[in-house]
Amino acid sequence: MSTRNQMAGHDVTSAEGRSSSEANRSGGPERWLVVVAMFVALAALPWLTTETRLISLAITTGINVIALYGLAILFGQAGILSVGHAALMGIGAYAAAILARDFGLGFWAALPICAFLSAATAGLLGFPALRVSGHHFVILTFAFGQLLTIVLTNGGEFTGRATGLDIGPIETTFGLDFNSLAGMYLLTLAFVAISMAAAHFIDISAYGRTLRSIRENPQLAASVGIDVRFHKIGVFMVSGLFAGVSGVVLAYYFRHISPSLFGAFPSVYLAMMVMLGGSRLLFGPLGGAIIVSFLPEILDLDPVEARIAYGAILVGVILILPGGVIAGIGIILRKLVAMARRIRGLRFASIESERNAEGG
Amino acid sequence: MEVFIQQILNSLSIASVIILIAVGITLIFGLTGIINFAHGELLMIGGITTWVFVHNGFSFLIALAAAIVVVGLIGFLLERGIFRFTLDNPMNGFIVSLGLIVVLQHVVVLLFDPNQKAIPRPLTTVWDVGDIRVAATRIMVIAVTAIVVALTFYVIARTRYGRALRASVADRETAYLMGIPVRRYVSAVFVVGSMLAGLGGAMLIALFPITPFTGSAIVIKGFAVALIGGLGNPGGAVVAGVVLGLVEGFSAGYGFSEWTDAYSFALMILILLVRPHGLLGGTEGPRVNS
Amino acid sequence: MPLLEIRGLKKRFGGVVALDGVDVDIDDGDILGIIGPNGSGKTTLFNVVAGVHKPTAGRVVWRGRDITGLATHQIARAGIARTFQQAMAFTGLSVGENVRIAFEHGAGDHQSGGSRWKSYEEILDFLELSEVAPELAGTLPFGHLRRLGIAIALAIKPHLLLLDEPAAGLNDGETTELAGIIQRLPGEGIGVCVVDHDMNLIAALCKRLAVLDFGTKIADGPADAVLRDPKVLEVYLGDAA
Repeated sequence: MSTRNQMAGHDVTSAEGRSSSEANRSGGPERWLVVVAMFVALAALPWLTTETRLISLAITTGINVIALYGLAILFGQAGILSVGHAALMGIGAYAAAILARDFGLGFWAALPICAFLSAATAGLLGFPALRVSGHHFVILTFAFGQLLTIVLTNGGEFTGRATGLDIGPIETTFGLDFNSLAGMYLLTLAFVAISMAAAHFIDISAYGRTLRSIRENPQLAASVGIDVRFHKIGVFMVSGLFAGVSGVVLAYYFRHISPSLFGAFPSVYLAMMVMLGGSRLLFGPLGGAIIVSFLPEILDLDPVEARIAYGAILVGVILILPGGVIAGIGIILRKLVAMARRIRGLRFASIESERNAEGG
Repeated sequence: MEVFIQQILNSLSIASVIILIAVGITLIFGLTGIINFAHGELLMIGGITTWVFVHNGFSFLIALAAAIVVVGLIGFLLERGIFRFTLDNPMNGFIVSLGLIVVLQHVVVLLFDPNQKAIPRPLTTVWDVGDIRVAATRIMVIAVTAIVVALTFYVIARTRYGRALRASVADRETAYLMGIPVRRYVSAVFVVGSMLAGLGGAMLIALFPITPFTGSAIVIKGFAVALIGGLGNPGGAVVAGVVLGLVEGFSAGYGFSEWTDAYSFALMILILLVRPHGLLGGTEGPRVNS
Repeated sequence: MPLLEIRGLKKRFGGVVALDGVDVDIDDGDILGIIGPNGSGKTTLFNVVAGVHKPTAGRVVWRGRDITGLATHQIARAGIARTFQQAMAFTGLSVGENVRIAFEHGAGDHQSGGSRWKSYEEILDFLELSEVAPELAGTLPFGHLRRLGIAIALAIKPHLLLLDEPAAGLNDGETTELAGIIQRLPGEGIGVCVVDHDMNLIAALCKRLAVLDFGTKIADGPADAVLRDPKVLEVYLGDAA
């Protein structure tokens, strides 16, 4: 009975027999220090470089990351794959634009409303769509993305047709202007941190356990009293919340949105990013988005070559490293640490302390 | 009325191409549980291959044969090189296909260019029946599809290979234990499905120009049709394809052409609400051991 | 009043009649055994009671409340737990998480049985699974997996536990251990209903037996009487008895 084959294809067992997602959770205070340090370093970026292109890229990456944490909860925790996530972002973005244009509501007012609208759309779609198997659901989400594009393109003046809609700047908040590049960057970074924290808290909570049980064995989950259908729709709506927030930030950053940003293919790229990075790890979505955004920069690839590279990496990752690239890095690091310990000759002592930590 | 019939005819010719994709998709899913989103790219490569051959002086017939062979070969390579590792976990096969879409599309862009490619219509005769213009090419597409689909069904229903295939779809483990070389059937189904897509591509470019991105635009309709008919049920795919062709023709004929595409999706969502297993009932995909 | 009353339960799947009007009572503190040849409808009976299938006809009354046709999770919440013929677990999660999840969703709308277990760790202890708590459920040897199934079922603090062939695949030693565990359950306030083919287990555990054949009940009463009933013997051994 091979555990690798049994899992939903996206996890990795370490030599000790624990899933990497559990290792993920049992972190410890050093981990938090690393995370905080990382965010502090990232926050300093606008002052460390003058290349505006880099900062712009970081902002778009960040916008994706916010949405990706929602997708990671949906897929990594609950095991439900969606290629309609960009469409849910689109609902948030378009709602923000329309709220600004027709109701005079600005960024901060739009945030909760649009997050709610995206979640509600997910709920409406999920209600019929989650009754059927995962295969059907995936196709339906893909179709939903296309459908939304059609609706937006043919929505007349209301949706701005194919050209799309413009959005004004973020209103000055407590005297702060977020519209500068640095301002936008820090705002996005803050949202990324919040998304990551939210995803983490869901992960370690009873809700996260419920989602994982649905992923692992829905029949058993039902027999312990879990209303599987309710939770599937619920988690889809949760993913919608993240997508909605991301959509609003996107709208106010690009200041112009059009239907093509939110169709089926952007959704496919989002799914790719979350798989690449690893949907069950805390840094997975972040890693995946960074790889996809910055790889072409680093390797100096043109857009066509870049896409071939992502596609190829994704195929490779799924076949070789089902936990995603970040999990792969994790395995390598763990192996290096284990090797280092042995070399230091503290072999027996360290195995003992490892066992004690695991038992907890 | 004439406009209506004209539109139906036009839509049926497109529906034929979609049926060719849908049957391939549904056969592959039925046996392996893999949803290959890159199937549309196979169609596109079929069309591009046809274009390459026609532009180098070969007749449409030869180009067509070449398309079928090339795409069949690609399907074989993909199955052997990639998809067979995902048989135990079809969801991975799906994810991998997402990566493949991107790779295949952009390799074609790299090798050629992102612009439209077209070939002259292989049959130039146009009959005028009353007010209706019946292009011989359209009839050819519909006829070829009908023949190929009929052949496929004959093989599935009446030959021992078809029986072995149906047994493998019903219960892969048992079929294997009974001596059916299931792995070979998996390859065969991938190859046949790909060849159908290649044929579809040749048919498509006979009617319209295509771009490297045409495949992904059409594949979703192929999936919609496969789903509506019942995933895993080739007969369902055909029926659903015809129904969709008629619905779209109707809508285009009566002026709602921008929404035409939306119909396949709306129809799919509707059908799944009422009959989650599709109109004619599909399979859940093979039982994967747990 | 019996804990569980099943009246006239019928279930057909297309042309196949799996249950043809079954009446069974389970009382508080009972360990009822349900036996019968293959295909007699034992597992179907469990599945219908547990909400996996809706009955074609008949009623299921649980502690005075009609629960016929309710969904699986609702029946679990009402206090009926079950194990599965094929040992089921959340394979990608640790043993501890498996039981913890069940415990967190513990039946809420009723006076719970098994209330002396105040935490999921205590249930792990009861089933002697504490040592393997951090291990992935999917890596467990079969005997442990069976025990895990019971732990998960007990963790929802049920008043009745339906055990579907709990000894299948276990050797004699493991079966004896299992019997020991099951025997303690009525003492915890949990009624038990066991379906199995292993006569040693059934004889050791059950004071009362019901026998099904072709979807109907052909005997019901004290174990030794039932096992000597000529109708029962005929069904198992044929006319030669």
